[in-house]
Amino acid sequence: MPKIQLDPLGVVIELATGASINDALFAHGVEFPCGAKGRCRGCRVRVTEGAAPMSAADQKVFSDEELATGWRLACTMRATSDLRLQLAAYTAPVLADETAFTFTPRDGLGIAIDLGTTTLVAQLLDLSTGAVLAVRSGLNPQAVHGADLMSRLDKATQEGGLDELAVQIHQALAELIAGFADERHPLERVQRAVVVGNTAMHHLFARRNCDSLARYPFESSEMDLSEHRADELGWPLPPATPVFMLPDLGGYVGSDLLAGILATRLHESEHPVALLDLGTNGEVVLGDRHGIQVTSTAAGPAFEGAGIQQGMRASTGAIHACSVHGGVPSYQVIGGGAARGICGSGLVDIVATCLDLGLVEASGRMAHGVKTIPLRDEVVLDQTDIRQLQLAKGAIAGGLAVLLARRGLEPKDLGRVYLAGAFGNYVNQSAGCRIGLLTAPPEHITTAGNTALLGAKLALFEDDLAFTAIRSLVSHVSLKADMEFQDRYVEAMSF
Amino acid sequence: MADLDSLKEAVISGDANTAKAVTEAAVAEGIDVQVIVSDYLIPAMDEVGRRFEANEYFVPELLIGARAMKTSMAVLKPLLADSGVKPVAKVAIGTVKGDLHDIGKNLVASMLEGGGFEIVDLGVDVSPEQFIQSVQESGVAIICMSALLTTTMGSMKDTIQALNAAGLRDKVQVMIGGAPITQQYANEIGADGYSDNASAAVSCARKLAKVA
Ligand code: B12
Repeated sequence: MPKIQLDPLGVVIELATGASINDALFAHGVEFPCGAKGRCRGCRVRVTEGAAPMSAADQKVFSDEELATGWRLACTMRATSDLRLQLAAYTAPVLADETAFTFTPRDGLGIAIDLGTTTLVAQLLDLSTGAVLAVRSGLNPQAVHGADLMSRLDKATQEGGLDELAVQIHQALAELIAGFADERHPLERVQRAVVVGNTAMHHLFARRNCDSLARYPFESSEMDLSEHRADELGWPLPPATPVFMLPDLGGYVGSDLLAGILATRLHESEHPVALLDLGTNGEVVLGDRHGIQVTSTAAGPAFEGAGIQQGMRASTGAIHACSVHGGVPSYQVIGGGAARGICGSGLVDIVATCLDLGLVEASGRMAHGVKTIPLRDEVVLDQTDIRQLQLAKGAIAGGLAVLLARRGLEPKDLGRVYLAGAFGNYVNQSAGCRIGLLTAPPEHITTAGNTALLGAKLALFEDDLAFTAIRSLVSHVSLKADMEFQDRYVEAMSF
Repeated sequence: MADLDSLKEAVISGDANTAKAVTEAAVAEGIDVQVIVSDYLIPAMDEVGRRFEANEYFVPELLIGARAMKTSMAVLKPLLADSGVKPVAKVAIGTVKGDLHDIGKNLVASMLEGGGFEIVDLGVDVSPEQFIQSVQESGVAIICMSALLTTTMGSMKDTIQALNAAGLRDKVQVMIGGAPITQQYANEIGADGYSDNASAAVSCARKLAKVA
């Protein structure tokens, strides 16, 4: 029976010869955001050891170079021999690796960490070659205190809360790093580690006082680079190994967006480009080599499927996409079984389709006086779901509109719009444009993968981790002080 | 004859230009301002609110409806003052300390204004002391507090306690709202009224002012 090792999960599964890889992965909790029909690249995996024959679908969706470097679609792949697979859904940053980046080689190994509110990802790199040796991911254990930032900050302002949260995250990351040692990587050769995350995560990691972030004015005076030692954090590395958490940019916009700037080279761009991180706390970056404006717009959790009547995260049973054939919509479900709910990308797709079919009006109201639209199985779209989406997409589009207006620009003037983060990667871009979440011309929009992790990795090769030059270009725009925002926001709520 | 039904229609559809023109024509013809307000504007805003509550309208329609109502009110206000028409009651409204979200608060204020209340808008980031001051100096009968953040809703409790301490609690009614607020929270902190939307806020306020 063929054995398949899955990276970065670190699991080995055994399956019958000829069994579908997609189904096997699914049974082990790996879910892809697509319908597994061999049409898209949603389930792409990379064969890093062993050989897998190419399917006709592989040849259609991948370039020769991608095929040669081992890319395959899990949905058309069968188990024939032992393999080692890298899951792209987890390793978008590894993907971004292939956009050759220039770096000055250094000695030893380095660790890049994306410390997210929900997920954690760490990569081990060979600093002399730039090669990624291993990837590990996990969940942020602080989530027991609440899924969103505000509840964590609230906890941090209570007696002993900050210490508890700090220790939780230090330990979780120590475990990811210990995973590298399990794979027999020589951790004694690690020279430095770079961590990025939003401002709140930075405060919790570095035990900074959270009072002013949790409450008015929702800003902090401590935004600089923080430097730690591995032993102080309890990490299984040589005791004096320096661990850096990169500086934040302002307000809630943290070092993950600084990393995003590095990853997209926004600070070197001749012409204005934008970087959007579409999450509960949406972040918008707009700029070029002359100046960069950043802002955060609190979109709320609709993109994550929360606050939606039958909302759910992007996992088995979620309607994640929708397409129309002969005027009749059909809905795609993750895992292919019965629909149980709607995830964020599904909501965007469904509403875009309903707008096209005239089932929803430009104001967001359902046509023909109905209050729900049946989708598939027991799942329905509710009028209030559309309202939640309007609030969320309006906040993002309104935030970008304010930054554009400040520079006298229009959406079409943006040479590129990079989408960062998981939702940005999965959302159907034309649907995003249709509902007015994305306002730039579709051909200018690019998914950029996990730019936070890529940027952290790039930083491993830098000397000036304070990034003084880039930060001098950046100004933080606070929408709460912006008279224009409310108008733009309300304008952007309609379709 | 000014077509007052078209005034009502203009507010419901958010057509500020028509609302203003019809109001001016009606005033020029000497139609009683009280009639314009209570028979046309208030019912129009009630209808806007009904549609909002029924999810037929959303924030943009509510805002443009309120805007149309306000252009009409701007014409009528000086005349109302002269004619000695009494507002239903005086209401002070504000977003609580540390919180700057004001879209919901503004909608509630507009709906209350459309419902015949006189509004003292204290703005955002309003401290308990400022609320108290509004009771002492402007003689408001109802205080409306809005909060959108879980970290700022505690300020509502502070305000109620401060009212108690100042011996003013029985002089005013307290109404609260905002996305994280619930009826349960209102009970917990001893607020007199709560609603989860701007339209129901009007009926709630009418109840508290004992006019409904
Ligand atoms: C717009 C918005 C902003 C704008 C505010 C602009 C403005 N001038 O108001 C900006 C960008 C400035 C902003 C900033 C912040 N925001 Co904000 N914001 C939102 C957003 C997207 C919509 C809120 C809104 O206007 N809703 C529409 C109105 C009409 O609804 P409403 O306010 O609930 O009001 C209705 C009812 O509640 C009721 N009502 C309201 N008030 C009252 C009062 C009374 C007396 C009564 C009876 C009824 C009533 O009637 C209204 C109409 O029906 C929400 C997320 C969401 N999708 O809801 C986040 C949200 C509220 N923000 C949030 C956060 C965290 C922030 C920030 C701290 C973070 C940041 N990223 O900068 C800052 C804080 C700023 C501050 N000091 O207040 C969080 C709160 C989370 C929490 N648990 O506390 C939310 C939920 C988003 C999230 N991350 O999940 N935000």
